[in-house]
Amino acid sequence: MRMAGGVKLFGVGFPILMPAPSHPPTRVRGGRPCVSFRDTLTMPDKHAVIDPITGFLDRRSCLHAAHRMLAAAESKALPLAALWIDLDRFRQINASFGHAAGDEVIARVAGRMRMVLPAGGHVLARMGSDEFVVMLSGEDRPVAEAFGRLLLVTIEQSLCVDELLIHPSASIGVAMLQPGDDGLSLLERADRAMGEAKRQGGGRLAMAAGEVLPGHHGTSLAREELAMEADLHAALDSGGLLLEYQPILSRDGRIEAVEALMRCTVFGRRLMPDRFISVAEKTGLIIRLGEWSLLQGARFAARLRDEGLPTKVAINVSRAQLTSPAFLPALHGALLCANISPELLELELTESLAMALDDVVQDNLRRARETGVGLAIDDFGTGFSSLSSLKDLPATKLKLDKSFIQVLPADQRALAVVKAATQMGRELGMVVVAEGVETEGQWKALEQAGVDALQGFAIARPMPEDALLTWLKLRKNT
Amino acid sequence: MTRQDDPRTPTVDGVLQQSIHDIDIPPRPTVIDRIHAEMNSDAPNLRGIAGLISRDVSLAAGLIKTANSPCFGFGRRARSVHEALTMLGLDVSCRAIAAISLRRAFPDSARYERFWHVSASVATLSGWLAQQLRVPGVRADDAYTFGLFRDCGIVILLRRFPDYQTVLARANSDREAPFTAIEQAALPTDHTVIGSLLAQNWWLPGEICMAIRHHHSLPALEAEVSPLRCPGRHLVAIAQTAEYLVQALTGGSRSEEWTKLGPACRALLKLDDGTLEAYRCAAAPLLQAVE
Repeated sequence: MRMAGGVKLFGVGFPILMPAPSHPPTRVRGGRPCVSFRDTLTMPDKHAVIDPITGFLDRRSCLHAAHRMLAAAESKALPLAALWIDLDRFRQINASFGHAAGDEVIARVAGRMRMVLPAGGHVLARMGSDEFVVMLSGEDRPVAEAFGRLLLVTIEQSLCVDELLIHPSASIGVAMLQPGDDGLSLLERADRAMGEAKRQGGGRLAMAAGEVLPGHHGTSLAREELAMEADLHAALDSGGLLLEYQPILSRDGRIEAVEALMRCTVFGRRLMPDRFISVAEKTGLIIRLGEWSLLQGARFAARLRDEGLPTKVAINVSRAQLTSPAFLPALHGALLCANISPELLELELTESLAMALDDVVQDNLRRARETGVGLAIDDFGTGFSSLSSLKDLPATKLKLDKSFIQVLPADQRALAVVKAATQMGRELGMVVVAEGVETEGQWKALEQAGVDALQGFAIARPMPEDALLTWLKLRKNT
Repeated sequence: MTRQDDPRTPTVDGVLQQSIHDIDIPPRPTVIDRIHAEMNSDAPNLRGIAGLISRDVSLAAGLIKTANSPCFGFGRRARSVHEALTMLGLDVSCRAIAAISLRRAFPDSARYERFWHVSASVATLSGWLAQQLRVPGVRADDAYTFGLFRDCGIVILLRRFPDYQTVLARANSDREAPFTAIEQAALPTDHTVIGSLLAQNWWLPGEICMAIRHHHSLPALEAEVSPLRCPGRHLVAIAQTAEYLVQALTGGSRSEEWTKLGPACRALLKLDDGTLEAYRCAAAPLLQAVE
């Protein structure tokens, strides 16, 4: 959604909109205009600007109002509260019902907020597409908190817009004026508290802690991660996840396995795997993503078997999964639901994970291995390897990191490491795989080094299920 | 005695070896994939989706019936699939289609007629209770969907393991041990894990998937320690109360879950004896209407 006459000022995932500035942006970051809270506070306040959809103050006017209210509160020793309200899943409302319906929702929610606002010199503002601020002058914390809860309930009533039933909900952060605050830091603390409410799942209120802000970069980073988390929730709830599969070719020409790689698309945007996996790990969503992958990968293994192409499917697992008591029931659940033999599934864990085994992880891995599921150590050589841990781990496969492979065949030292690691893997009874094989030269060098199997663009890129199936059939027939 | 010490406990390998039947978890209906693809596009093509749904007469009828159900309280009635989609929105339509498709996704559904009838009864009363209780953030259609899906893992396990019926009877009659603990003593997994995997695979919302996973857990109902957020906890409590009402009104499908979870459900939903009794009386005619 875009405000009338507004320009989008922040990057993807930061749907913060403002009216077009009357003078050039004060900073340029990465070639794009970027106006911060503090910048807007220094802009001239000629006239308060009213948002046309809600009738509230716009973002910039709100910041000036905050500045003035804070000065007044401090001079009279009165409390001042800021509530930052963000509608949950608003992007989905826009995507499902269209922007006109989205505007209608914003206007109706704003109307409800106005209805319940107590009398007094309070301020209502629209800070972004689906973000609002309420400044309560002279009200103490219990009143601010109670008002926040009233807003939650008020906003959560269903709305009928053009015969569409919409169920809005909001996340609210509440901050009370503290010594040393300026208008900006008060709002920032409310915004951060709202982020916390959102992180806990939305539809709730959080009070700001009295912490020192890490500065704008920290705040922006937190917001980016928050947006990513919201995207991941949306992907999990709306079919935005997909596994692609990359074949691993054995020296004898067999397909040793296929590695499942997760892709995530939300509202047409493809998220970068490194970023969304890292956010998923931080937020605990990795467990749901991991369980989804287990079942999806197991079902694909069943499909390959049913097509007469029985092939192991390797699924990446995270530390969070392996420390969870739900890991083994979920693994068994996936095997049962897909109705496959455990030998058709392989769990891939990174070397850093493999080398930091605690008892729970080790026990889960041992019991997983006892079922017949394979265990592969991924990215081997990138961490600080502990050979004793490697000895204790019941792994069946060692995957040499691509950083050793990509410098072949020229780098003789790398080749020596590859040969030694291959020898060690063999002695430990593991299949040794080289990852990231991209050229014929690398391929030949790795064959000479005795590596058991190869994975990389030189063999095949990751492919969706149907494409991989076709690729496997073509290989079988030639 | 631990599982490993008990000679009667089947080994994991042994149990997996029992999985000889060629039965798979029901695949996600293709129409759900199509709707999600449209939801993720910039300009969802409602007419295209309506056309796809309309090719399946019972699905189309089910969706129109859902849009016209009192759960939503629309002022007007949907007369076509397109109208139903517009009134419900794509996300709610998707859940409605999942609910309509669940039972027929199992090819041998007739064998489990009684199970499906109880699930439909619990789902209907869950949706109704959500309307009566008006818990912020808990939607009647979500309560209905949760009520329908929460035990679907049981059917999958019944189809897979002939002995699961015995395990189920033991779990239903135990007044102390958690239901899933009894299942996990006999199997390497339990019906809440299977049910939540299926729900995730069918792209049901996270709250519902998590609630399915924890619906036999007492701590899940307690705010301080619950892994569930507010709507999830309430979904569990509402469906458990609905199950209690179904059992009280029909005298069938006895279990001890209300003994174990009832007090926590009542505390969460603030149900005193009088209110519960009033709901029991009011729910009776609703049950008769369950197909």
